[in-house]
Amino acid sequence: MTQAEAAAHVPALEAHWGGGASPFGATWQKTMMWIFIVTDGLLFSGLLCGYGFVRHVSPVPWPHQSEVFSIPFIALMTFILITSSMTMGTAVTAARLGDRRRAINNLIFTIVGGFSFLACQAYEWTHLIREGARLTGNPWGPPQFTQSFFILTGFHGSHVFSGLVILIITVIRAAMGKTPAQGVELAGLYWHFVDLVWVFIFTLFYLL
Amino acid sequence: MDATGNPYRIYRVTWIILLIITVAMLASESFHLPRIFLIVFLLAFMMVKASMIGGNFMHLRYERPSLAVMVAAGILVTSLILYSFISREFRHIVERLSN
Repeated sequence: MTQAEAAAHVPALEAHWGGGASPFGATWQKTMMWIFIVTDGLLFSGLLCGYGFVRHVSPVPWPHQSEVFSIPFIALMTFILITSSMTMGTAVTAARLGDRRRAINNLIFTIVGGFSFLACQAYEWTHLIREGARLTGNPWGPPQFTQSFFILTGFHGSHVFSGLVILIITVIRAAMGKTPAQGVELAGLYWHFVDLVWVFIFTLFYLL
Repeated sequence: MDATGNPYRIYRVTWIILLIITVAMLASESFHLPRIFLIVFLLAFMMVKASMIGGNFMHLRYERPSLAVMVAAGILVTSLILYSFISREFRHIVERLSN
């Protein structure tokens, strides 16, 4: 296509484009955070698809999760993460309404929740490793079982850890009056994403 | 802000519903449902939980539909493509077609 022909197509394209300068109606920071979340979601999507595949093709029967894990303990971890998402949402709204004290308090509750979750995960890993769980094998059957477990929960745990680092920086900056409401909102989006991923891991790995 | 004027209420309500759903999912095994019903039940509740977190906590319900579509369709479609590529059935189809 020549330049003249390309130029002739421009008005036609513009006529169909209704998004204007901001098709998502969000600031560039928020749009970039959403694009990051989608790409990070694809990472976990790939990991969960891989898990589904290795489980499907495993020649050895997959162990029953309740015989390996303490499901009430996993439920406690889920409770902690859901609660921390609730406090994070409250912090975001408080920051938007200019209630700095409430925002900081709820950010601190969220950080406590995040550390509690990581502590539970560290306990769970230690317990299973002591029982013989390794990346190369385990006492319950197919080695893919513990491979999936360590990779899925390890990646998720690393996201919780990086979320905590972001939250600690956000709360320090908020206390100094340097974080705008949007900064809290972006940190919140990442934290809720971590919670969202856990919903899938909890159901697909621990319950199904 | 919800109808009561309390901007924080939505988070508490969402939190309670998420907890109730989680308890229902945990209790589902004790009902000894057929495996296929259990799977459908758990997957349906998983999607409800994911929608509530995305809609209420991540505020997708207040954003433009284009953003929600970009997020949901992007992840769902790519997950399906990923799974179809790595699944055994897909490999069998490819092998059958190539023979």
